[in-house]
Formats: sequence, C-alpha cells, structure tokens
Amino acid sequence: MKEKNLPLSVGKWVLLAVILFFLLFPLYWVLVTSFKTNMEAYRATPTFFPDAPTVESYIKLFTENNDFFVYYKNNFIVSGVTALITTCLAILAGYGLSRFHFKWNGLVVAILLSSQMFPVVSRMISLYDLMNKMNLINTLPGLILALTAAMLPFTVMLMSSFFDGVPTAVEEAAYVDGASRLAVLWKIVVPLVKPGMLAVGIYSFLMTWDDYLHCITLIQNDALRTMSAGVAMRYLGELSYDWSLINTISIIGTVPMLLLFFFFQKYMVKGLVAGAVKG
Amino acid sequence: MSTSTAVRQPRMKLKKTTGDQLFSLALIAPTLLVTIVFIIVPVIDSVIKSFTEYKIKNIISGAPGVWNNFENYIKLFQGGKLWPAVAHTLLFVVGVVVAQFVLGMALAVILNTGLKGARFIRSVMMMPWVVPTIISALVWMWIFQPQYGLLKYAVGVFTGGAVSDFAILNDPGTALLGVAIAALWKQVPLTTLLLLSGLQNVPDDMLEAATIDGASRSKKFFAIVIPYMKSVISIVVSMAIIENFKQFPLIWTMTGGGPSESTTTLAILSYREAFVSNNLGSGAAVTTLWMLLMILVVALYRKLFQAEDMN
Repeated sequence: MKEKNLPLSVGKWVLLAVILFFLLFPLYWVLVTSFKTNMEAYRATPTFFPDAPTVESYIKLFTENNDFFVYYKNNFIVSGVTALITTCLAILAGYGLSRFHFKWNGLVVAILLSSQMFPVVSRMISLYDLMNKMNLINTLPGLILALTAAMLPFTVMLMSSFFDGVPTAVEEAAYVDGASRLAVLWKIVVPLVKPGMLAVGIYSFLMTWDDYLHCITLIQNDALRTMSAGVAMRYLGELSYDWSLINTISIIGTVPMLLLFFFFQKYMVKGLVAGAVKG
Repeated sequence: MSTSTAVRQPRMKLKKTTGDQLFSLALIAPTLLVTIVFIIVPVIDSVIKSFTEYKIKNIISGAPGVWNNFENYIKLFQGGKLWPAVAHTLLFVVGVVVAQFVLGMALAVILNTGLKGARFIRSVMMMPWVVPTIISALVWMWIFQPQYGLLKYAVGVFTGGAVSDFAILNDPGTALLGVAIAALWKQVPLTTLLLLSGLQNVPDDMLEAATIDGASRSKKFFAIVIPYMKSVISIVVSMAIIENFKQFPLIWTMTGGGPSESTTTLAILSYREAFVSNNLGSGAAVTTLWMLLMILVVALYRKLFQAEDMN
C-alpha cells in the first residue's frame, strides 16, 4: 500500500476531484441560486456566490405558492404510510421466506424478482381501470396500495437477508418453552432485526418520496397530488419558469430526504448492500 | 396411556409441519396478494389489452376491449415511431450503464485505496442519489437553461465566445446526452457504493501475495479484483440496465421526448400513446414490446457474462 508513485497519485486526486465536482457542484449551484433574486440569477455572467443573498424566494414559496405545501404534506402522508405498511408486510414475508423452506418459496421469490422488472407504465395502463372499478382512483389509499406493491419486492428480499443473519438457536429455545410462533417472531426475532426494519422503512420512504408516475396517472385531483407530480403540473411547463422559485422548491423538496439519509445512513448503507447483493 | 403417547408423538410432528406450512403461508400471503393484485395482474392485463381496441371511452363506459387482429402492433410497426424509440432506448441504456460503471468503479477504487476521509467522501457523494428524480431533472435543466444556464456560460468562456448559444436539451443531436448526464449524476453514487462494498470483500492476502510475486497494478486489478467481484458487478450492471430501461420521469420532465422526438424512448412513447393520445391499447402494445426487449437484453447480458466465466 505504501508504494510511492507520484503521477499515479496525482492522477488519482485529479480524477477524484473531477467526479466529486460532477456529483456535488450541481447541488451547490441549486443552493446558491435559491438565495438569489431572479435578476441576479439571470445575469449573463453568473455569480458563484450571491451578491445580495436573499430569502425572497423562500418567503414567496411560503406565502404566495403555498399549494406546494399541500403536495408536500400529501407526500409525507403517502410516503409515511407506505413505508409503514411495507415494513410490516416485509417483516412477515421476509421471515416466512427466510425461516421456512417449502416448495412454494421458489415461486414466491420468482414472482417478487420479476415484479421489479416490469415497466411502471405497463402496470398503470391496467391499474387505472382496476382502481377505477375498486373506487380507489383519485384517492390516497389507492396510491398508497399501488406504491406499496412497487416497494415490496426489493424490501421483502432485503428483510429476508436480515433474518438470515439471525441464528435460529434463540427461537428453538423459545419453542421448547412453549411460545407460539407469532410470539417468537414478535418478541424474539423482530427486536433483533431493528436495523433491517429501519433500512426497509427509510428505503421505502425515500423511494416513494421520489414517485412521479404513480401519482400522475392515479391522481387527478390537485389537492391530493404528491410533490413531484404537483411541482411538475403547477410550476413547470408554464411559459416562463421562475428559476429562483424552482431552485427553492428543489432545496425544500430535498432537504428532509438528505437529513433522513444522513441520520440513518449506517443502516441504509448496510441495507442497500445486503438487499442488492441478495436480490 | 402408553399407546396414546406413542400415537401422540408422530401426530405432534405432523402437526408441527402443517402448522409451519400454514404459518409460513400466512406470513407470505399479504405480500403475495398485494404483489399479484397490483403488479402481476395489471401487467398480464395490459398485455391482453395490447391485442384489443381499448381507449379512454372503454374506461368511462366500463366496456371491455375488442380484439382487433394485432392492429395496435401493425400500426406501431408501420408507423415511424417505434424503431427510433427502440434505438433511443438502447442508446440511452448502453451509454448510461457503461459510463455509470466506469465512473462508479473509478470512484470506488479510489475510495478503497485507504484515502484519508474516504468515509466522509462516501457519505457526501451519496447526496445526488437521495435527490428526488424530478428535482434532479430541475437541477440539470437549470444548469442547461438556454439563456441563463451555467453550461451555456461555461461553453461560451471555453470557446472564447465562438459558441454563445449552447443549449444541450434543445438540439436533437445532444438532447439525449443532456438527459443521460442527469441520469448518471443520480445513479453513479449507488453504483459506487455497491462496487465499493464488493471491493472491500476482495481478500487482502491474495493481493499481497500477487504484489510479492511482482504483479503490476493493472494485472492485479484485472486478474484478481475483477474476477473476485464478478457477482457484485453482475448485480450492479443488471440493476443499472433495468433502472435505465424504466427511466421515465427524468426524460419526461427534461424534454418531454423532444426536440423532434430525439429523446423519445419506449417509456415516453408508451406513456404518450396511453395517456396523452388516450389510446391505452396502443400504449400497452409498446410496453409489451418494451418488456420483451428488456428481457432479451438482460438475458443476453447474463449469457455474455456467463460465457466469459467459462474462460
């Protein structure tokens, strides 16, 4: 490891700097623009730090464009409930697949894995009709169910890989003591896979926060839209974009997710690696 | 008494197995139900719909689609939109996946060299992955903005003012590249993270032994590291292929499929047929062909990967 090779190590730093610049500069640029007035943002020679930093766009977003917060609130509801349901179902199914090996396991895994591949548009063409018949079109429960289905394949595989890591000896001891299967799962195994539950919950929250296609097809009522769909419908495609406002929206729409990710990143990183490698 | 215990023993055992079976079914049932109702059935149903005349009026009236002798498919193959969309999709998928893998691998290898602050960099570089897709689109649309965008300014400076109207998304020749840059930006972090975890599993003693034997860096990388990471690489690349095949929101927000159809992939074409032209049968035909193509590409990729394994 201690080999000294100057050109190689210079090359390494240059490459690292270039890739990091590509990944991080755009975020800085959005942040800076959100604190500029449109006058400054539209200057022919851009300023890399605002001449006159202002929170004007933030105030404008909170006062004039507060429809945004309706979408924001809806998204919290939809993502939160989806994450909760997904985590519960993934615990059950993940445990089932990890602990009991019956002939249908292979089929279940095949169904889950192939479900991850299908294009969302293909599902939406029928789901629109199906939801309509079930009176779930234009409702948040309908959107939540559709999103839960989209989250389950990956999260079940992820959860089951966490259960694989729990030794069965503890459970067997509890069975000898006469505990029921459900009690063993609930009182003994679940507390041991808390990191997995967090990984699954946060993953589902982040992924459904990102949803666009489910919402634009299943929800037509503006008051029920989630963030991505709401922003796309209301603030884009008008004749002139208000870029300071859009950059402010970008910041407000991203910050909670960044906080969530950084706060739980230990679990997230472990979970993503485990889930991807197993799935 | 003694006979009854003798009988009870096997009965308990049988009961345990059936009990386990019932319990395991009960655990799996809710997930299976949700997956079948909201994924499998809709996908099969949309394949069926692709063979019928099925439009928005069918949804309103509740009338089932009518078999139309492959008309959706015939129209697609005869119209001029399908093949360009296939070409754009393949170009986008191959381009983004290759670039994503190269950049991700480069970053992962650098972060794995025992660099100071590697852990910090690893967590900071994940930020674009957390940014919602629509917002990633907005981030890059602002950079690419034709009048006030940073890229237009940068190109102007670097060319000494010769090119002063660079608008990557407005030119049919470069629009797909513009979208691909945004896709890369969002996807490189996860690729790096997964490849890095694969790199960390390569046993050090093997590398040390090779160093003692005088193997060069590149020799070690291609002869030890890559083969050792085969399964991780295979998963990362398959995930990237599927992800980019499915890419919709980014393209739809950034270009809407234009200019002059230059970024119309199969995802955009199917959505437009189904929900803009309101011809759901035709949209379903596009998604059916799209799924076939995706299965073909993934299978081909797996086959290539395995064939290389043989050598």
